[in-house]
Amino acid sequence: MPKGKARDSWGSKLGIIMAVAGSAIGLGNFLRFPAKVASNGGGAFMIPYFISLLLLGIPLMWIEWTLGRYGGGFEHGTAPGIFHSLWKKNRFIKYFGVIGIFGPLVIFIYYTYIESWTLGYSFFEIAGKCRTLADQASMSSFLRGFQGLEQNRYFTNLWPAYFFFLITFCANIWVIYYGIKGGIERLCRWAMPLLFFFGLILLLRVVTLGTPDPARPDWNISRGFGFFWNPDFSALRSAKVWLEAAGQIFFTLSVGIGVILTYASYLSKGDDVVLSGLTASSTNEVAEVVLGGSIVIPAAFVFFGPVDIQSIARSGVFNLGFVTMPLVLNKMPLAWLFGFFWFFLLFLAGITSSISLAQPAVAFLEDEFDISRKKAVAIFAVVSFILCQPAVFLLGKGVVDELDFWGGTFFLVLFATIETILFAWVFGMEKAWDEIHKGADMRVPGVYKYIIKYVTPLFLFFILGMWLWQEWLPIIFMKTVSAGNRMCVFGTRLGLVLLLAVLAVLVKIAWRRRKAQLENIR
Amino acid sequence: MNPYGWMLFLFSWGLILGLTIFCFVKVFARKEL
Repeated sequence: MPKGKARDSWGSKLGIIMAVAGSAIGLGNFLRFPAKVASNGGGAFMIPYFISLLLLGIPLMWIEWTLGRYGGGFEHGTAPGIFHSLWKKNRFIKYFGVIGIFGPLVIFIYYTYIESWTLGYSFFEIAGKCRTLADQASMSSFLRGFQGLEQNRYFTNLWPAYFFFLITFCANIWVIYYGIKGGIERLCRWAMPLLFFFGLILLLRVVTLGTPDPARPDWNISRGFGFFWNPDFSALRSAKVWLEAAGQIFFTLSVGIGVILTYASYLSKGDDVVLSGLTASSTNEVAEVVLGGSIVIPAAFVFFGPVDIQSIARSGVFNLGFVTMPLVLNKMPLAWLFGFFWFFLLFLAGITSSISLAQPAVAFLEDEFDISRKKAVAIFAVVSFILCQPAVFLLGKGVVDELDFWGGTFFLVLFATIETILFAWVFGMEKAWDEIHKGADMRVPGVYKYIIKYVTPLFLFFILGMWLWQEWLPIIFMKTVSAGNRMCVFGTRLGLVLLLAVLAVLVKIAWRRRKAQLENIR
Repeated sequence: MNPYGWMLFLFSWGLILGLTIFCFVKVFARKEL
């Protein structure tokens, strides 16, 4: 940060709540959550879901808000500096903090491209480009043509998708260019209410669908909600369902990425983190359970019936959002309007998340290299734009899946485990408890002292071990990758190792500079 | 929807909406927003 200049800060307490909620509310709330519930025991899934929220999600959220504000007091807005402030005697801990810049940057690389599809589809809905498509095969073909995975009668090249990607990328850069208060907070203050407005309109539309086809009286909205909520308690005997619920809580709250650390670092020492963190989390839950759980699956049930909905629920997030949902909307009156609401809602959910993913890298350059915000954003824009290209042009070659595994899954859980151990055991629970309550507008229930110290780390070790054993080993050894994609996936891995190494070197240089500056002052 | 479905639906919505309303009431009761 340039000398003599104060760090950026939030304009209001409500501003950071909206920004953190915006970061947490993403495409997963409206697509991943309903798919997970429908294919993991229906309403019964909510039991492990709420247990994970109480034992994993909420404690992690409080840990990250507190760590972020603590690090901000030392003018560090990213994990290397924050971890170093917590454990000054350890020379290596700052390098573990590199994950807190690497993870969000990697997710940003592919997330921005997926976000741009929602902008493209918002336009297609208004223009009526996919209105005549009436079956899964033609809508899938439309999506694959748009993604550049095949040439067909809808699209002959990737340029329409690239055009929307450019608009989305520039919009992201434009917002972060204006900083925390003037860019991120300003966007989230109007985007979040608008997102909830669109969600509410869609919810009301779905609830009032009734029985659209009198020839099929069983295909009605009441049964649609029944399909989603009726529990299959036998699913609770499966360890997979509990892991899926823990994973959903983890991914939905944006914990373990590093973005909450950065956002909270712009708080003042005496600002509350307990109530603000809880409010941001509960706002995310409203978007997920109340809106996300009431739109896609119940509406798809009404138009596709009790048999097809089973395969639709298991067909994957992209299929649900970009194939099933446009087909459902096409069968409604005013399809173009509701279609626009749906995709623009996803776009707002996406952009409020992607700007938060960009912020750690920008904050790292500003705080640790004394670079002005404008310069830091320019460097970030150039580097991330180059890094985005493989995700755009090699989508069908397994690049996005690989980026999602390392940036959006593996390092996320690892990072959360490291920060929890640091907070509860290295920093010390007594000190941590006092730090949480500085300026707090409410007290954290005393039982959380023990949950944060014992239960949350054990829970994290458990899911880390189980995922590594059950799901990750085949991915790490590329057993799930087709022979044709192996080179691309291997190249992506090399690129990621290089990126991690570059970030670690940058941390080393930054600390050396800081040390030299301190010696000059003496 | 069967009775168990209703119970889980009302519990989930009640818990989340209740917590959110509680939080926002406290947030708006602050001296500074």
